[in-house]
Amino acid sequence: MTHYILKRFLLMFPTLFGVAVLIFLLLRVVPGDIVEVRFMAQGQYSSEAVMAIERAKLGLDKPLWQQFTTWMWGLLHLDFGVSMWTGAPITEELKLRFELSLQLAIMATVVATLLAIPLGILAAVKQDTWIDYAVRVFSIAGLAMPSFWLGILMILAMLIIFKWLPPMVFTSFWVNPWENLAQLIWPALAVGYRYSAVATRMMRSAMLEVLREDYIRTARAKGLWLKLILSRHALKNAMLPVITVIGLEFAFLMGGLVVTEQVFSLNGLGMLFVEAISHRDYTLTQALVLIVASVFIFVNFATDIAYAWLDPRIRYR
Amino acid sequence: MAKLLEVKNLQTQFLTSAGVVRAVDGVSYDVDEGETVALVGESGCGKSVSALSIMRLVAEPAGRIVGGEIVFKGRDLLKLSEEEMRDVRGRDIAMIFQEPMTSLNPVLTIGRQLTEGLEIHLGMGPAAASARAIELLGLVGIPDPARRLAQYPHQFSGGMRQRMMVAMALGCNPALILADEPTTALDVTIQAQVLELLQDLSRRLGVAMLIITHNLGVVARYADRVNVMYAGRIIERGTAAEIYADPRHPYTLGLLRSVPRLDEPIRAKLDPIEGQPPDLSRLPPGCAFAPRCAYRVERCTEVPPLAACGAAGHMSACWVSASLAKEPVA
Repeated sequence: MTHYILKRFLLMFPTLFGVAVLIFLLLRVVPGDIVEVRFMAQGQYSSEAVMAIERAKLGLDKPLWQQFTTWMWGLLHLDFGVSMWTGAPITEELKLRFELSLQLAIMATVVATLLAIPLGILAAVKQDTWIDYAVRVFSIAGLAMPSFWLGILMILAMLIIFKWLPPMVFTSFWVNPWENLAQLIWPALAVGYRYSAVATRMMRSAMLEVLREDYIRTARAKGLWLKLILSRHALKNAMLPVITVIGLEFAFLMGGLVVTEQVFSLNGLGMLFVEAISHRDYTLTQALVLIVASVFIFVNFATDIAYAWLDPRIRYR
Repeated sequence: MAKLLEVKNLQTQFLTSAGVVRAVDGVSYDVDEGETVALVGESGCGKSVSALSIMRLVAEPAGRIVGGEIVFKGRDLLKLSEEEMRDVRGRDIAMIFQEPMTSLNPVLTIGRQLTEGLEIHLGMGPAAASARAIELLGLVGIPDPARRLAQYPHQFSGGMRQRMMVAMALGCNPALILADEPTTALDVTIQAQVLELLQDLSRRLGVAMLIITHNLGVVARYADRVNVMYAGRIIERGTAAEIYADPRHPYTLGLLRSVPRLDEPIRAKLDPIEGQPPDLSRLPPGCAFAPRCAYRVERCTEVPPLAACGAAGHMSACWVSASLAKEPVA
């Protein structure tokens, strides 16, 4: 077990390094760089000489390996450098946004898990009854409705019916939890609903599959109650695919909520991502990709551990 | 001896897209206390479904028991509520399944799977249940049982898993064990060990057994009485000796002739039964075996044969059974 965890843990670092190399190179292959974008935005024509001076200021004139090692050296000291576009230190820029995105992702995951696991089990146990159909309609609706659209509806409903709007400025949970939750609960519900739809369907199908297994028949032949069969014999086996889905969705939420963030006027990572790429802000984009990739890799690591915890065949290998 | 289990005219059907499949079609048999009875037949003849029907574990909603009675210790199991039935399962009647590889839960320890029945049916506390589990594992010949409790099924070999299934079945001292092809998935040498164990324990503990198998060798060695099934019906019944020495149904005769024998000079070839078992959703009007039968007479394809009782309850559902008496078995 310890060996298994240690191996998975150490594997995270080469993966992360691979991501770093890849994003570094990819960004520089994309046509246009930050200097061009900036001058174009100002609508000026600039000579090559002026642009070269600008590039030199940002260190873009140095050979690639040198740029890369500079970046890596900074990373080793947990320093992402400064944004090429604004000149502000990236770590400062990301701190609050990361906190917001992380909190939103956690809240949405809680919402989704609380909905998906009971609903999925219920639908599987009551397969082909009206309960099953109701759950399936509910989850299909969740998949069909984009969460930003649901978000708009929620805001409109609050405005028209309750004449109230959630706070627009992000307050850290540690500063004022009440204010913080009043703002974030709505996007968490909107995003969590869609997220739960995916997980509910996975839970239902995994449960149906497990309920057909021989060992469930054995458990029934022992005279166990349905509740015990479900909670002890079926749930652990059925959770494996659901955990994978929950993990991947969670990681996706960290950087993928561009439109929803806009609807709820949240300053999360998603919006920043789009800006950074359109500005060709190499340093900021690199930092963002690395953060989101770390979340993905860490979530995968956590999923692997959860797998081992649930399934002894993995634990003892 | 007193009748422990009486199955009377049991009918279990499955609704499929191809129509109603009569998996068990009016089957009757009984098991005395402490006796070992075999249910023999080829795959798909309805023998497993008849055992699952006793436990009321036929997969609903496609499968359902549409008629008959299953009288166990004087109570008709088909009339019990689901809750009452739950008390019967595992406590009065235990079941051993065919596939030891998939019939144990891979994520629960051996100890957990052994003790849960004891806790539920006998109200044992965790300590008492563990002690009993260790005793049970010892009883079925698993060495070092105390250490084994913490292990998982994937750490057990196939034979050990089936021993564990036997231990699980014996846990609450049931009166009857249904063993559905208990050794089919095992190596031949292990098969013998598990069967010897089952027989030994059932004799010692006085547990009645219903062995469901397609293996005539198993039947000959371990069963007191035999029921031969074909296409959802019992077509011959008798003591093991009667069935082997004096089969009165062409199907039984065919089965016996198709067994390879090691104790005889090498024969040119085996003598299998020609043709395929019939489609259970479209049974012929007469005898279901008639299309494959070498002794067929005209009446066979028109009227289903009645069960004719021979000496001492040796029964055969065949119009020509009397003329089979002279036929050599092999």
